[in-house]
Amino acid sequence: MNPNINDKDSRKIVDIIQSYAQKHSLWVLAYGTGCGAIEIPPTMTSRYDAERFGITGRPTPRMADVLLITGYLATKTLKRVIRSYEQMQSPKYVIGFGSCTINGGMYWDSYNTIKSLDHYLPVDVYINGCMPRPEAVISGFVKLQEMISNGTANGWEKYRDNLDLYRSQQKEVIKNWQMPDYNW
Amino acid sequence: MEQLLNIPAILAIAFAGSILVFVTHLVLPRLRTAVVLLLTLVPAYLVWQLPVDSPMVYFSLGGFDLSWGTNPYSRLFSLLIAGIGVLSTIYSLAFMKNKARLGFFYLAFLATIAAMYGIVFSQDLLSLFFFWEIMTWSSFLLVIYYRFENQQAGIRYFVFSAVGAYALLTAIVYLYSFTGDLSLAATFRVIPQLSTTQLSWITVLFLLGFGVKSALMPMHVWAPDAYRSAPSPFTALFSGVLSKMGVFGMGLVLFKFMGGLEPGHIIREVLAWMGGITALLGTFYAVFQTDAKKLLAYSSIAQLGYIIVGLAIGTPMSVMAAIFLALMHGIFKSMLFMGVGSVFHQTGSLDLNELTGLIRRMPLSFVTVLMGIITVAGVPPLGGFVGKWLLYESLITSNHYFLVIVLFTSSTAAFLYLYRLIFSIFLGQEEREFDHIKEVSWVMWVPMLILAGMTLVTGILPGIFFGPIAEAMQYLGFPQIDWQMSVLFNPWGNQVDMLSVITSIATVFLLGLAFITWKNFRTTRYVTTKDIHTSGEMPTENENLTYAIDFYRPFERAAAPIFKYKVTRMYASFAENAEHLFDLLRHVYTGNAQTYALYVVIFLVILIVFSGWIFGIQI
Amino acid sequence: MSFDWIKLLGFIVTPLIASAVGFTYMGLSRKITARVQNRIGPGISQSFIDVVKLYSKKTAINHGLMQHMGPVFAITASITTLLFLPVIKDSIFFANFSFRGDLIFLIYIMVFGQLGMALGAGQTGNPNSAIGVSRGLSQMVGFKVPYVMALVAIMIHAKSTNLQEIIAVQDGFRNWMVFQMPLASLAGLLAYLGYMGYAPFDVPFAPAELASGPPSEFGGKYLALMMTSRSIFTFAKLVLFVDVFFGGASNFIELLIKTFLLYLFALFVGLVNPRFRTEQSIQFWWKWPTAIGALALLLVAWKG
Repeated sequence: MNPNINDKDSRKIVDIIQSYAQKHSLWVLAYGTGCGAIEIPPTMTSRYDAERFGITGRPTPRMADVLLITGYLATKTLKRVIRSYEQMQSPKYVIGFGSCTINGGMYWDSYNTIKSLDHYLPVDVYINGCMPRPEAVISGFVKLQEMISNGTANGWEKYRDNLDLYRSQQKEVIKNWQMPDYNW
Repeated sequence: MEQLLNIPAILAIAFAGSILVFVTHLVLPRLRTAVVLLLTLVPAYLVWQLPVDSPMVYFSLGGFDLSWGTNPYSRLFSLLIAGIGVLSTIYSLAFMKNKARLGFFYLAFLATIAAMYGIVFSQDLLSLFFFWEIMTWSSFLLVIYYRFENQQAGIRYFVFSAVGAYALLTAIVYLYSFTGDLSLAATFRVIPQLSTTQLSWITVLFLLGFGVKSALMPMHVWAPDAYRSAPSPFTALFSGVLSKMGVFGMGLVLFKFMGGLEPGHIIREVLAWMGGITALLGTFYAVFQTDAKKLLAYSSIAQLGYIIVGLAIGTPMSVMAAIFLALMHGIFKSMLFMGVGSVFHQTGSLDLNELTGLIRRMPLSFVTVLMGIITVAGVPPLGGFVGKWLLYESLITSNHYFLVIVLFTSSTAAFLYLYRLIFSIFLGQEEREFDHIKEVSWVMWVPMLILAGMTLVTGILPGIFFGPIAEAMQYLGFPQIDWQMSVLFNPWGNQVDMLSVITSIATVFLLGLAFITWKNFRTTRYVTTKDIHTSGEMPTENENLTYAIDFYRPFERAAAPIFKYKVTRMYASFAENAEHLFDLLRHVYTGNAQTYALYVVIFLVILIVFSGWIFGIQI
Repeated sequence: MSFDWIKLLGFIVTPLIASAVGFTYMGLSRKITARVQNRIGPGISQSFIDVVKLYSKKTAINHGLMQHMGPVFAITASITTLLFLPVIKDSIFFANFSFRGDLIFLIYIMVFGQLGMALGAGQTGNPNSAIGVSRGLSQMVGFKVPYVMALVAIMIHAKSTNLQEIIAVQDGFRNWMVFQMPLASLAGLLAYLGYMGYAPFDVPFAPAELASGPPSEFGGKYLALMMTSRSIFTFAKLVLFVDVFFGGASNFIELLIKTFLLYLFALFVGLVNPRFRTEQSIQFWWKWPTAIGALALLLVAWKG
C-alpha cells in the first residue's frame, strides 16, 4: 500500500480511480441521536434526492463509509456512537450535523450532553445550523467529497494515530468503559 | 478348497469374535481394544478378498439345506458393511472409552456386523431369516444400551421388528409351500410359475418385512427414537448400514421375485409413492426437530425414501441411482452421526437450542458435518449430487412427473434442516460455556475424515461405484449397463461431466480464496462473535444473542395447515382406539376353564382349515 | 485435443461481461426506481463506483474462516452457473461448458453459493443474519415448487434436460416456451420473482428490520466480492430464464434486450408492491403458481 496516498505527485492511476470511487459512493450510517434525524428523510427522498450524489443509507456500520451524527449526543449515546464508528471499515468519515455537535448548541449547559464532538471522534465536516436544512446537508456532503478528492478527509487516520488521546478523552465522559479494543 | 471354506470361516470368526471380545473384557480388559480391532479388521479383510462369484457352500441342518455364497450384488453390500463396520468400530474405541458394560457393547456390536455379513451371504431364505433375527436382537440390545430411559424406544423398535419378522416368516413359509426348497436358486426357478395374485401377496409380505428395517413411512415410527437412543458409533452403523439391509432385501424381492410382474405394476407404483411420501414427510418432520440425532434420524428416513423410490421405479437408471444413493447414504449418514456424536462426546449435549459456536473448538468435526450436509443436500461437486441427479433424470425420463416434484420439494426442504444442524452446533455465537471444549482424539476424527474424503472422491469419480453397481445389476437381471468414470448421462443422451464441474469449481474457488486472502492481508482482523452490529450496543458476556429456538417459525406457520393432523396425534388416537378394543377383548378372559377349552378347540379348527387352504392339504 | 485459445479466452471474458452487464442493470434499476419515485437518481455507473469503492476499502474484519470463505463460495457458484449456461446460441466464444449444461445440475449448483453465503453469514453470530437465512431458506421451499414444476414440464415437453436442446426446440418466435407452454411459463415466471428477491419477496434482506439480513456483518472486500458475485448471478439467472422460456438469444443485442425486459418485469413488480411476510409468500407460491404448475404438468402428461 502506498504510504503517500495523499501526496498528489505520487498518486498512481489506481489511487485516482479509488479516490474517485470513494468520492462518488458515500454510504451513510445515519445515527439518529437527536432531533436532526428528522432532516434525513427529506434529504434522501424525492424532494432533495441525495442519491444523485451517490449518497445512500446503509443499515449496518460494517458497510457504511460516513457516520452522520444528527444532533446532540448524550453521554450514554456517545458510547454507542463510538462503538458504531469503530465497527466501520476505513476509510471512513464523520459528519457532525447541527450546532449541538459543534458546541452543544441549545444544550450548552446540560449536565449529560457532550459539547464538542471533535474531542471524541475525528469529525471531517461540520454542518452548522439548528436545524440545517437539507440543502445544507447536501452541501456538507459535497464538501466532504471535495475533501476526499484532494485527500484531506483523513479523520480516520488521525483517529488511528492518536488513539490514546481520543481514548483518554472518551473515558473521561464514559465511566463504565467496557468495550473491545480498537483493532486496526 | 481354501475359498470354499472362506464364507463359513468369515462368519465363524465374526460370530466367535463377538463372544471372544466379551470374554476378553471379563478376563483381560487391557487387551480389549486390540482384540476388538483385530476381530473387526480380519473379517473385513477376508470379505474384501472374497472373489465376486464364490461358489456356494451347502450345509444340511434339520432337514433344510442351507447355502451361502457371494454374487456381485451381495459383494457390494458386504463391502459397505465391512467399510462402515471397521470405521465405526475404530470410532467407537475412543467414543466408548471408560463407559460401562463394554463387553456387552462390543458383543452386540460385533454380532450385528457378523449377522449382516450373514444376511448378504445367505443364498437361502432360512439362513437369511436366521441372520435377520440375530441382527434384530443384537441391534435391539444396543438400542437399550443406556438402560432405563430408552426402554420405550427399544420396545417400539422390537415390536415393529417383530411384526416385520413375522411378515418375512409368513412370506417364506408361503413360498416354501410352493417350492419345497428354501434356496434362493430354487425359489427363483419357481417364481415364474406362480400366479400374479400369489406373487403379489408374497411380494407385499416381503416388502413389509424389509420395509420395517428401512423405515418406510407407515412403519417408520420406531426409527427416530431408536436412532436417538443407541450410542453414536452404533447409530452410525445402524442408520448407515443396518437400514441398508432392508434395501438389500427389497432389491432382491423387487427384481428377482417380481421379475414376473411387469414394470408399471401397481405394487411398484404404490411402493414408489410410499417412498416419495416418506421422503417428503420425513424431511418436513426433520425441519422441526431440536435434537441433533433425532433430526438426522428423520433425515435418514427421508433419504431411504429416495432409495426406495429408485428401486420401485425399476428402470436401469433409477436402480443404479438407488443403489448409488444407498452406498452414499451409508457413507454420509454414518459420517454425520459420527460428527454429531463427537459433539455429544465433548459437550454432552445434542440439543440444537443449547449448542452454539463450536466451529473454532472442533474444526475437524465441523469439516465432517459440512461435507456431510453438502452431500445430503445433493449439491455438486460431492457424491450426493450424482445420486440425486441420476434419480431425478430417471424419474423424468420414465414419466413420473409428480413423483419428481415431491422429491424435489423434499430435497429443497432438506436445506432447512441441514442448515439448522450445522448452524446451531457449529456456527453462531461462541459462548463462554463452550470455551473449554477440545477437538476429539484422532481415533475419532480419522474415520470421520476418511468418510468425508470418500464423498469428494465419489463426487468427482462416481465411476468407482458405477462399476460394481453395474455388475450387481446384471445379477439382478438387468442388461449390461454403460457407465463412465466421471460422466453422467440419462436415456435421452444428456450429460453432466463431473470433471469439468470440479475443474470450474476448484479453479474459481482457489482463485477467489487466494484473492480475498491476499487483499488487505495485513489489515484484515479477526473479531469475536460478540463484536457484531447490535445498533451500537456492546453485548455483555451473559447476553444471549443466539438465534436458535423456533428457527423456522415462519416456515412452520406457512406449513401449519398441512401439519394440522400431526402423526403423533394420529398414533395417540390409534392408541386410544386400541385401548377400547383391548377393553372389549378383556371380556374374552372369563376365568371359566370350559370357555378356555372351547377357545382351544376353535383355534385348532381354524388352524386346520387355514393350513389346508394355504398348503393345499386335504382334510 | 488441440488447445483452443478462443475457448480459454471465453472462460475468462464471459464472467467479466456478465459482471459488467449485471452492474449496469443494477445501476439502471436504481435509476428507474428513482424515476418512479419522482427523483433524479444516481448515474447508471453508480453500481460500478460502489463496488470499486468497496474494493478500495483499506480494512476488513471477519469472524472466522467460514465468513472469510462465504463470498468465495458465492462467486464460485455464480461463475460456475454462468459457465454451464449457453449465453448465446451456437456461439463458440460464450459456449464454455454449456454443451453439458444440464438443467437439474444448474438448479443444484445455484444453491451452492446460497449455502456458502448462509454458512458465512451464520458464522458472524449476528442474530439478524441467522433470521435472514431462516427466512430465505423458507422462501426457497416456497418458490422451488412451482419453479421445478415448470422446469420439469418443459424438460418433458422438449424431451431433453440439456439447455441447448431446449433452446433448439424453441426455434422461431412462435415456438418460444411462453407460447408453447403458457401455463408452465406462468408458473416459472412467478417463481422467477422469488428468485430475483425483489419486493414483495425481499423479506430475507429487509434493510430496515433485519439490518439487511445475511450480509449485515460483511464489509469492505467481502461485501465487494459478494456484490460482484451478485452481479454475475443476476445475469446468469436472467440468461437461464431467457434460455428456458424465451428461446435464448442468437446475438448479444437480442440477449441484452430480452434479459433487460425480464429484469424490468421483476423490478416493476417490486416497485409497486409492499413486502410479504415469509409465510405469506410461501403460501402464495403454494397456492396459485403451484396449481398452475400442476395443471401444466397434467397437460404434458396427457399429451404424452
